[in-house]
Amino acid sequence: MNEILWLVRKTLRSTFRKKSSWLVFFGLPLIGIFVSMLIYGNLSGQTLRVGIVNADGDQALTQDAIRFIQGLDQVKVTMMDEEGLRDEIAAGKLDNGIRFGAGFAESLQAGKPADVQVLSVKGATVTSYVRAMLNDYLGNVASIAQATSGDKAAFDRLYDAYLQSSFKVSAETLEDTSSIKYMTYQSIGFLIAFMMFSSVNMTELILKEKENRTFLRLLTSPVSARTYVLSNVALNLFIMLLQIAVTLFFMKNVFHIDSGIPTGELFLVLLLFGLAAISLSLLIVAFAKTTASAGALSNLIVTPTCLLAGCYFPMDIMPDAVKRISNFLPQHWLLDTINKLQHGETFGSLYLNLAILFAFAAAFALIAIYRFGRNNDTRLFV
Amino acid sequence: MSNVLEIRNLTKKFGDFIAVDNMSLAVREGEIFGFLGANGAGKSTTINMISSLLRNTKGEIILLGKNIAKSAKFAKSNIGVVPQDLAIYEDMTAYENVSFFAGLYGLRGAQLKERTVEALEFVGLGDKHKAYPKNFSGGMKRRLNIACAIAHRPKLIIMDEPTVGIDPQSRNYILNSVRKLNDMGCTIIYTSHYMEEVEEICTRIAIVDHGKIIAEGTKEQLKAIITDTKDIWIGIKSEDEIKVEPLKQIPGVASVRVEEHMVMINSKAEVNNLNLIIQQLIRDRAEIRSVEEQAPNLETVFLTLTGRNLRD
Ligand SMILES: Nc1ncnc2c1ncn2[C@@H]1O[C@H](COP(=O)(O)OP(=O)(O)OP(=O)(O)O)[C@@H](O)[C@H]1O
Ligand SMILES: [Mg+2]
Repeated sequence: MNEILWLVRKTLRSTFRKKSSWLVFFGLPLIGIFVSMLIYGNLSGQTLRVGIVNADGDQALTQDAIRFIQGLDQVKVTMMDEEGLRDEIAAGKLDNGIRFGAGFAESLQAGKPADVQVLSVKGATVTSYVRAMLNDYLGNVASIAQATSGDKAAFDRLYDAYLQSSFKVSAETLEDTSSIKYMTYQSIGFLIAFMMFSSVNMTELILKEKENRTFLRLLTSPVSARTYVLSNVALNLFIMLLQIAVTLFFMKNVFHIDSGIPTGELFLVLLLFGLAAISLSLLIVAFAKTTASAGALSNLIVTPTCLLAGCYFPMDIMPDAVKRISNFLPQHWLLDTINKLQHGETFGSLYLNLAILFAFAAAFALIAIYRFGRNNDTRLFV
Repeated sequence: MSNVLEIRNLTKKFGDFIAVDNMSLAVREGEIFGFLGANGAGKSTTINMISSLLRNTKGEIILLGKNIAKSAKFAKSNIGVVPQDLAIYEDMTAYENVSFFAGLYGLRGAQLKERTVEALEFVGLGDKHKAYPKNFSGGMKRRLNIACAIAHRPKLIIMDEPTVGIDPQSRNYILNSVRKLNDMGCTIIYTSHYMEEVEEICTRIAIVDHGKIIAEGTKEQLKAIITDTKDIWIGIKSEDEIKVEPLKQIPGVASVRVEEHMVMINSKAEVNNLNLIIQQLIRDRAEIRSVEEQAPNLETVFLTLTGRNLRD
């Protein structure tokens, strides 16, 4: 243990003496978050500003629908008149405008809701969330109306019951706004790629020490090759912990991206993936003879697999064949786990995902160890 | 005197190639033991086995009374290895390098500091604590390499060609520090293919060839092996026309070496063949300038025993 700490201390010192290391290990993931926000976010914050024009008067059903939208707490609703709505949308002060026309409540009660206009200048991603939530809500109310076919008392009873439950549901899915989801996904996607690269970077130090001849010198001291590799893994894990902590901290407290997953759980899955990344780099180092070939090999492996697993683009836009291939990539299982956690599945119910991630880590590590063992007793041991 | 190191029937095979062949030797406490051999003789391979970097194919190595196969950690912590290839960190200061390696042997705190300073002082880098080895000369790097191996005060120091490719000044410094270390009670194994070095500092010498020890003893003992031969050095104007084969045919001649303006012949002492040799040289139209008879030196010993030069 003492030996491992001594080795870790030395590598830690000489690594972080170089300014470039700070950039590689911590700067890049932060840049990743920043880029995801540029791609998917309105940087000012996550609330959608929605202006509502109510031309239907104080009809109870219309008021309820408006309250439903207000209830989405990612959404800030301002009531206004038609002219004000157009101006503010044009001026970019609003993300969305919604107009309930006269007779809306009546049409809804009749089971055939009149079209609600949803306006925006920012394009589909911003609008779709509010539209989807609202359509869902109105669709349900309309089907209650159809089911009760004009029976006012029955409608009121069912409608009240529905309001109770739907408001609860909507409260739970609040954080599931599409832009936040994509931002989290993308930030984590970038983090994954950077974790993999920095892990290979750390593990490559083994090869670098072999090339510098210091590795054999180390082995003439009481340190064994196993201890040495273990110290490398320990340091790698430590840096990864910091990397994840820093990234999550900045995501939450500086960039205010709420992933919708308890930080502890997110941390744990990321760390589990980190183990897989470290094992993979051990594997690369076990097969590469020089730092140059390890670098080439890691580029050849990490970049394309991250691409296929959807670290750089959301998986939805990938063809089916790619989706199937991604099943064989650990990155996919991490992203899938995060996706499912965001959709409210519990940590415990995802044991299959977690087990698969763990299996990747174990398989890579075992092959690497086997390979290290075979290299035994030559000039370039390990 | 007790043995610090004992090697018994040590063999190392790389595939079918036998790099070390049934070697046995003993290094006594307080010796500077010279390990002399041409390129590829098996010196580094032997040393790598002593320092547990390579597993031996056969035989055993006993360090301070313990078999290193069974107590590798004990052996390693009592040895300081100065590898043939420089093994220092270019991105760490001289002080950090020595301190790091000494720390591997368990030194910590005030003791570590003290030993580190001492070791740097010892190799003459006392004023270079904060300097990075990337700015060092070859000789300074070699010296730092040595400092890294001695700070933990090992019983046995193994130096594998510590003076390869450095300036004469650094070389003298290193040879002197080897003597000083020895005076302080260290046992040293010194590998080299510089005859003069070995002759100058070693108390006992083993000559290695093709993985075997072909002779072992003090300088005097080694030279005594060949009292029955003599060296004849003949200075000539030009060596271009000299044919080696006819010279070798002359009775008593054991070996012939032709260098610039010089023919060096090793011959049986009791055969009087100087006339024949000179006649042959005249036949080759050599213009003879001097003729000397030499007392045997280690170079001749080596040449006689192995049939080849130490360096090509
Ligand atoms: N790992 C290896 N695999 C195969 N052959 C090896 C290996 N290591 C050494 N050899 C061979 O064993 C022989 C002895 O090598 P060694 O390095 O011990 O020589 P040496 O006496 O140290 O020579 P030098 O003066 O050049 O350092 C050489 O022929 C070398 O090619
Ligand atoms: Mg050698």
